[in-house]
Amino acid sequence: MARYLAVFAQAHQEFRVPELESIAQLYNFKLTLSDDPEECDPGRPYMILSLESEDHARLLAKRCVLIKSIYEFYSRGATYDELHSRNRAKRSLWERYIPETSFKFSVTAYNHKIPQRRQKEVVESFSYMDFMGKIDMKNPEISFGCFEEYETRSGKTRERHEGDGEFVQVYFGRLIEEGTARPLIQMFDVKKRSYFGNTSMEAEISLLMANQTLASPGKLIYDPFMGTGSMGYPVAYFGAQVMGSDIDGRQMRGKQTTPGVFRAASQYGVVSRIIDICTFDVTNNPWRCGELFDAIITDPPYGVRAGAKRLGRKKELDAHRLELYHEHRSNPRPGDSPYIPPTKPYELSDLVVDLVLLARYLLKPGGRLVFFLPTVTDQYEEVDIYTMLCPGMEVIANSLQDFGSWGRRLVTIRKVTSERYPPPDFSTRNTEGGDDKTQHVPAHRHFREKYFQGFKKAEEEEGR
Amino acid sequence: MVRLITHNLLACHVKGCTSNNFPLQLQNVQIELREADFNPDFLKTFLPKLEWKALVDSAKELGDTSLPLEQPEMLDDEFLKNLHHVLLEIHIEEGNMICPNCKHSYPISNGIPNMLLAEHEIG
Repeated sequence: MARYLAVFAQAHQEFRVPELESIAQLYNFKLTLSDDPEECDPGRPYMILSLESEDHARLLAKRCVLIKSIYEFYSRGATYDELHSRNRAKRSLWERYIPETSFKFSVTAYNHKIPQRRQKEVVESFSYMDFMGKIDMKNPEISFGCFEEYETRSGKTRERHEGDGEFVQVYFGRLIEEGTARPLIQMFDVKKRSYFGNTSMEAEISLLMANQTLASPGKLIYDPFMGTGSMGYPVAYFGAQVMGSDIDGRQMRGKQTTPGVFRAASQYGVVSRIIDICTFDVTNNPWRCGELFDAIITDPPYGVRAGAKRLGRKKELDAHRLELYHEHRSNPRPGDSPYIPPTKPYELSDLVVDLVLLARYLLKPGGRLVFFLPTVTDQYEEVDIYTMLCPGMEVIANSLQDFGSWGRRLVTIRKVTSERYPPPDFSTRNTEGGDDKTQHVPAHRHFREKYFQGFKKAEEEEGR
Repeated sequence: MVRLITHNLLACHVKGCTSNNFPLQLQNVQIELREADFNPDFLKTFLPKLEWKALVDSAKELGDTSLPLEQPEMLDDEFLKNLHHVLLEIHIEEGNMICPNCKHSYPISNGIPNMLLAEHEIG
């Protein structure tokens, strides 16, 4: 196993390791994180990985949205002396480039800008490597990268270049591949999309989610809360075929004749991979059998801008009105506008429990369910995630995107059983009233109400 | 654009309608043919999920008789190409899908089927 240096983009730290692991699983190669906590802290921008081949490093760079670039790792140190002495010891890694390979050096920093004069000094300090090839800044055969990592100093005012050289760690290696998945964020930018809605998921997150599903050609992936289709486009771009459904057909259609989802998919050249989009309520779904999909990816509506709905009435009709309804349904009058069935709210914590049960029924063994769960930061407990699990389904990743008082968790659940389960019955749970004190109440229950109350803590509530 | 792969996976789900509720009968349909990526591995793995007779019959109704009545043992290239065409390249743009049992009609408009149920049809 050789060691590689992953340089991460400054975003979504918690999602870094799950993404690496997903891509390694997708292409079926071995990825080992370092045992040294210094080298595998996902909160830091540089991570050292062990891989069996350089090709695997290239695959990571091509598919991981959070990777900026990946280097063959030569050495690191708290000082340049330390870095250089270790780099000398690794001569076998770079001596083949000495005779005639053209090269380039880049010296950059994280959380800091190194003045040009010192950049030059740093490059010169590597002169013991004795490269004979010519320096070529435009098209070198190989590029070396030297990275200084500084503590975060955001929020503090300081002079330009102040603290220069006071880095935590410095890393050095040879460039294998620049990340090419990151530019996809621009390509899938919602603002440039021909069809989107006010709850469309931003491009970076939907790409990360697509990676969690292990999307690739030949797979069939389902979104049961399709909305304007934001989850489907990246999944289809990675080669998978997409099936979508939503209780509200207007979300998928938009206002023009050609449905909006197909228009946006055409823009990305993936319309042939959107197999179908259907209007139905997932709690009353027409799927003929289970074990159909390789993955389920979804961003369920959690109620801040749009709440989840299911078929049914909040209040049942009384006998008289029910009779009128039946009368009207059996003898429709010409000129009546089309019947639109009534809907009622679908509580988020019920929805996620049902979603996991549905996924267990509809996924093939080994398939993944990838979705977002909003949560209240102060009230979240690890056990919240487990309130929604059922036998045969296991959480394999759970990463937080923190917005302060609330956040949302990207949850990846794997179907670990090949046993066949019946479809869920979606019966309305009567968990209101709180008579059952023994049961754990997850922080995402009544998320909408909590959101609009500004996430006041329980004590504050009581004090009023 | 209801494709026949989707049609093969949808059954009537009206409350109490549990037998003879598949396949949904196609009525007044308008079809369009559009190319899709050919992926033999996908077809092979998906084959066991299909209700073969329903697929052959529906394809025939839409004028495609390229599929054999019985699923062949040997999956040669010609068979896979025909299966690919039937499953993924025939799109139903408009029309209705009718339950053979309860006669519920599911309309298709601009390629999107409306599978919603009325309030007396849900459990």
